[in-house]
Amino acid sequence: MKKKEMEYVKNQNSNTKLIRTEILFAPLLLILPFLIGIFLINDWYVRGLLEGNSADFFGELIIGIVIIFGNIIFDIPFIRSLKNLSKTK
Amino acid sequence: MIKKNIIKNINYTKNKIKSLDFDAHWYRRVFHTFGAALVLYYMLPDIDWINTLKIYAPPILVVFALSLEILRLNGHLSSNHFFGLRMYEQKRLGSYVFFAVGILILLMFFPQQIAIPCILCACLGDPIIGELRNRSNKRYANSIGFIICMFFFMIVWHKSNIYLLFLISIIGGFGAIIGETKKFWWLDDDFMIQILPAILIGIIWILMPYIGLSYPDIIIHPFRWPW
Repeated sequence: MKKKEMEYVKNQNSNTKLIRTEILFAPLLLILPFLIGIFLINDWYVRGLLEGNSADFFGELIIGIVIIFGNIIFDIPFIRSLKNLSKTK
Repeated sequence: MIKKNIIKNINYTKNKIKSLDFDAHWYRRVFHTFGAALVLYYMLPDIDWINTLKIYAPPILVVFALSLEILRLNGHLSSNHFFGLRMYEQKRLGSYVFFAVGILILLMFFPQQIAIPCILCACLGDPIIGELRNRSNKRYANSIGFIICMFFFMIVWHKSNIYLLFLISIIGGFGAIIGETKKFWWLDDDFMIQILPAILIGIIWILMPYIGLSYPDIIIHPFRWPW
């Protein structure tokens, strides 16, 4: 695909509205994966470790960690970009 | 004085556009990683009304997204309402619809042992490969991407026979990378990165009982009800 086609659609008039939509969604996009990751780790701890079935729930632990870690990698630059955007407003 | 003001205005607009570009880029990335939260589907308790919800809610959400896109493409809804659209998506379905349809197919038609690693490949593997490609060369990005996608399959199949574990991981990783690199205007890589490895492993899944192999246990257990 050409470089031009990979650019984002921009429209100065609608920017404010779009960014408002984006900010509205941000808490959901940032918090939900963390909650799911924590639930999975908690499930491994409660039903796995405490009840002696650690091996059965080991996969949940790893998936929980992967989800949390994977999200952190991209959440930090996203939050930073939101901050930069509010500075240039 | 006027010249100074004009230069100031130009710089201001340039900065704004640059930061908006940067913002849309990371917004798309976060939207991708958010998809990993959809493994929630397998955590829901195994009771009648929730099972009914599990059957009807995902297709309804996808049909809703598809309707929005059809309205946008027909001109009834402006593209200005959609944040982070790319130029090539102006006259085509948005990538997020392909992403959603791919996840819907996985949740509805594939066992979780196949669906979970494929969802992780699309949600975490794809943005990591994209970032690596932006920062280094294609070959390096694809090699690291292959290892990451292999890892997702290894997590889910870790209890199965060692030969099967490596076979599934290699085929899954290979399928995901092929799906990610083959970009078509009419078929998005967000769909292919999930469905291609799912189909390849689905074939092995069907053959497994015939060659004397047993299926691995589920990886995510439904929550107990009541809590």
